[in-house]
Amino acid sequence: MYAGKLARLSVSILVFTGVWWTSSGTFFEAAIVPSPVSVAGKLTEMIGNAELFAHLGASLRRIVLGYALGCLIGITVGVATGAIRLARDLIEPPLEFCRNIPPVALIPLVVSIFGIGEIGKYFIISYAAGIAVLFNTAAGVLSTPQIRVRAALCLGARKRDVFARVVLPSAWPHILTGLRIALGFSFMGVVAAEMLAADQGIGFLIMQSTNIIAPAEMFVGFLMLGTFGLITDQLFRVTIHRLMRRYMIPMA
Amino acid sequence: MSWRVLRLEGVGKDFDRADGGVAQVLRDVTLTVERGSFFTLLGPSGCGKSTLLNIVAGFEGATTGGVSLDDTPVTGPGTDRTVIFQDVSNALFPWMNARENVEFGPKMARLGARARQELSEKYLRLVGLDADGGKFPFELSGGMKQRIQIARALANDPDILLMDEPFAALDAITKKHLQVEFRKIWNETGKTIFYITHDIFEALLLSTHLAVMTAGPEAGIKEIFQIDLKEPRSPSNPDFAALYSRVESLIDEEVQRMRAR
Ligand SMILES: Nc1ncnc2c1ncn2[C@@H]1O[C@H](COP(=O)(O)OP(=O)(O)OP(=O)(O)O)[C@@H](O)[C@H]1O
Ligand SMILES: [Mg+2]
Repeated sequence: MYAGKLARLSVSILVFTGVWWTSSGTFFEAAIVPSPVSVAGKLTEMIGNAELFAHLGASLRRIVLGYALGCLIGITVGVATGAIRLARDLIEPPLEFCRNIPPVALIPLVVSIFGIGEIGKYFIISYAAGIAVLFNTAAGVLSTPQIRVRAALCLGARKRDVFARVVLPSAWPHILTGLRIALGFSFMGVVAAEMLAADQGIGFLIMQSTNIIAPAEMFVGFLMLGTFGLITDQLFRVTIHRLMRRYMIPMA
Repeated sequence: MSWRVLRLEGVGKDFDRADGGVAQVLRDVTLTVERGSFFTLLGPSGCGKSTLLNIVAGFEGATTGGVSLDDTPVTGPGTDRTVIFQDVSNALFPWMNARENVEFGPKMARLGARARQELSEKYLRLVGLDADGGKFPFELSGGMKQRIQIARALANDPDILLMDEPFAALDAITKKHLQVEFRKIWNETGKTIFYITHDIFEALLLSTHLAVMTAGPEAGIKEIFQIDLKEPRSPSNPDFAALYSRVESLIDEEVQRMRAR
């Protein structure tokens, strides 16, 4: 079973790499789609002169801070929107409006306001992550079955207990889904922000590679995004499985 | 709290409907439930039984009249009254195992771990699930979940159990078992039971008092019976059968009236 899965994974990776390799220099010019070998060479070189770590470090720092901030705000406001009728009526309309504005669209405005410094990038990522977390959190809070709350009240739970011990646990599956989606959004947000206004970071690396005609650098950027996105997502899944399993069990 | 009677006096309930109108559900319901009795409400579907139970539980306020324990008015949910819901999957806390569910009330009462454990052991044993304390609700059958809900309520030592068709979603055999077992539990614990069912047989098997409701809108109490059937109660007993058909005809009358409207 496990061996079979591993075999299929290997085949999948091999086929993908194979298609890339054979199309480079045939279907696509090698100057546009470089071969895996030249990308690997570039990767080694960039690790060697530590250039890669500067870009990677800049992007990851932005993601971590922006994501954390976005999640904090998203959960707080999401809980308020879900739990308090007045807050919902006041906050929801502008949010429903904002969710149609993708983070990328805000970049020119953000650059005009904050310049090309770090604050603007944190803003973009927090916005991208925050919106996803907020809507999922609010939905989770609202999804708490009424009779579960009522049962808790009969058993002597005070308002505070009901929130902490019934509403929040009932909302966890939704909130965690939001947090996971937001993680993906953070990667998108950071790249978008860095492509337009930065002098460091994976997004910058990708954008700059076309200016200096260095296609391998662009693909190193792709490689980093794919790899680190995958790693953080898996880490997220494992952590949830370890810490939050009892909240994720089937509800029936 | 020491009280003698649960009193419903002139209870009426209107709901604002989504279309802007008003649903006049209950009118002038007056009942007295004596401490220790097993009081059952029976009535056509949609007449307002659950609404009445929610008012007694304190989840909803009455539009007119009120509920009181002796002379103390009921103003909201309280630990003296615990509801056993039919929809047990949503009523239990799915992220807590059976034991943790049962210990929820004691925990809210700030009891220590030792005392909580004693209570959960006692009541899990009472409902016959002492070996299943570590299981989560999704690992339990419908009947087992309902036992857990009963244990959870009892561990909180309420005076009154409010039960809204607790066994209606169970298969016939499980239902029969639980009815018999629950009657024993009622005997042993001496709780006051306010019970809703659709099932005349169940009502006659369990209750000391039975109220038949009229059809809604503006539903009220049609007739109240005190049930003194020979124990053990059995449908083969002629008194049982006679009472059964009497209650059945009352309900049929109401259903006819509802249809005619
Ligand atoms: N929140 C509400 N808003 C508006 N109408 C309501 C509300 N709750 C109940 N009703 C109406 O009140 C009436 C009684 O409902 P209730 O659930 O109490 O009936 P019931 O006797 O318990 O029915 P059943 O036997 O099917 O469980 C119904 O007509 C229902 O539509
Ligand atoms: Mg009902």
